[in-house]
Amino acid sequence: MTLACLHPPPVGDMSSVMGDMIQTPPRPRDIGLVNWRGLWTLYLKEVRRFLNVFTQTVLAPMITSLLFLAIFTLALGRGDLNFGDVPYAQFLAPGLIMMTMIQNSFANTSSSILISKVQGNIVDVLMPPLSETELTIGFAAGGVSRGVIVGLSAGLGMWLFVDISIHDPLAVLYYGIMASLMLALFGMLGGIWAEKFDHIAAVTNFVIVPFSFLSGTFYSIERLPENWLFVAHFNPFFYLIDGFRYGFIGHHDSQLWVGALAVAGVNFALWLVVHRMISRGYKLKP
Amino acid sequence: MRPAEVSYRLRSFGAVNWRGLWSLYRREMKRYFKYAIEALGGPIVSSLLFLAVFTLAAGEEAYSRVVAGGEGPDLGAFIAPGIAAFSLALSAFHGGCFPVLYDKLEGMITDVIGAPLTEGELVFGFILSAATMGLLTGAGVAGAALLFVDLEIQDPLGVLLFAVLLSLVFATLGFIVGLWADTWDRCAAVETFLVMPLGLLSGSFFPLASLPELGQQAIRLNPVFYGIDGFRAGFIGWSDSSALLGAPLLAGLFLALYALAWHLIRRGYKIKP
Repeated sequence: MTLACLHPPPVGDMSSVMGDMIQTPPRPRDIGLVNWRGLWTLYLKEVRRFLNVFTQTVLAPMITSLLFLAIFTLALGRGDLNFGDVPYAQFLAPGLIMMTMIQNSFANTSSSILISKVQGNIVDVLMPPLSETELTIGFAAGGVSRGVIVGLSAGLGMWLFVDISIHDPLAVLYYGIMASLMLALFGMLGGIWAEKFDHIAAVTNFVIVPFSFLSGTFYSIERLPENWLFVAHFNPFFYLIDGFRYGFIGHHDSQLWVGALAVAGVNFALWLVVHRMISRGYKLKP
Repeated sequence: MRPAEVSYRLRSFGAVNWRGLWSLYRREMKRYFKYAIEALGGPIVSSLLFLAVFTLAAGEEAYSRVVAGGEGPDLGAFIAPGIAAFSLALSAFHGGCFPVLYDKLEGMITDVIGAPLTEGELVFGFILSAATMGLLTGAGVAGAALLFVDLEIQDPLGVLLFAVLLSLVFATLGFIVGLWADTWDRCAAVETFLVMPLGLLSGSFFPLASLPELGQQAIRLNPVFYGIDGFRAGFIGWSDSSALLGAPLLAGLFLALYALAWHLIRRGYKIKP
């Protein structure tokens, strides 16, 4: 036993020692109207998630779209098959880029949310000081990024083989972003609703893929029978593909302003639905 | 008191553990049916979509001039068997790759290795089940396509022969890839960079004549071409290649891959410490 143990120092000294050891707890970070740091972190998490497996998420869709281009051009594009004034390959390329963007934006948000839900780490996203709006923006921006990155790489790949020229960059940008956003939001809706991977696989196989195939990716809708032509005009995917293609080849099947408004309207409605689902905690919170 | 005498007699089996083999086969098939929506429904829907899209894009006027300058089958009859054969091959590849990779990642592969199954039985069980999955998916796709395309089977034996050969080749390839892969990413990479190009650029969707000379020669180097062409010949009675060349080629390829798979399993490649 040392003296120090038997004779503790006087109280006054003690407090000075403790004052050094115990620091004041950190002040909560001041968050203004928007939690920018949190939003950025969520966005980075979403982007890194798919870049981590970029063979599956970027390269695979790119290769697939190139293969589609090859088989469709070889099977149909011999000689004189033209759509309007352009050869079939030039008509097809923008459609394929758009189809790839559609499928991948949807895959990104839906799989991200569903995997988090199934594994239980969705709380890591729900617990932090992020509002419903910030959550919606963060996830949707991740999906849009995937769509844009995949679209760019598919476009670059095709550019090596097909003479792609841009007629109206603004239309390409508008419809590219709007399409990615629409499908990212739709993917969030699906991911929140689904309880297992089968559900999402079913939505992908029976909704997303059919719609992205049949909405004018591969053919001008003038080829459709009369009554189907009418149905096509209620299909938002049709406006996405048509407007996007207009940006490249300068030809469109529908009224451009109708398409632009329809797409914006659908996105707005989807946004409201997703926002409401998250704020109600539908299938996210117990 | 003497403890009750318990004697567990070992089940005796002959040269082949038939019950074990059957259990392994049934286990794999149950997996397939559990994911039938993805494994069967998905390919059927996407194949029908391909068919619809091709037909719509080609339009009426392009219909008859697809094969052999206007003589031969129309577009739908040409493409439908090609799509079915491609779905069959892809599905067999998945059936070979996914189960063994999944078992490895989850550590369940010990259940199979620990069972009284010889290396030969293991390989046989996995590959046979994967080939069955491919045949089932291929049959589903072909059946669905036949509802929409006017097609008669000219040579059922030829169809069966090439379907079995294609599914065996891809099942074995998938099994080897599943053994080799450490992550899903690798499996997906092989699918994207090997299986899809081999399957799609094999004349499944276009006749050889639509390619320039160099492309035709490149495709003749692709073994999948002979499988899909032979399979289609059984339906439409028209082919780009000879079955006498295709069938032995595919059989040889299958045997080589099978020997490799057997060798890997015997060495315990990536499945035993």
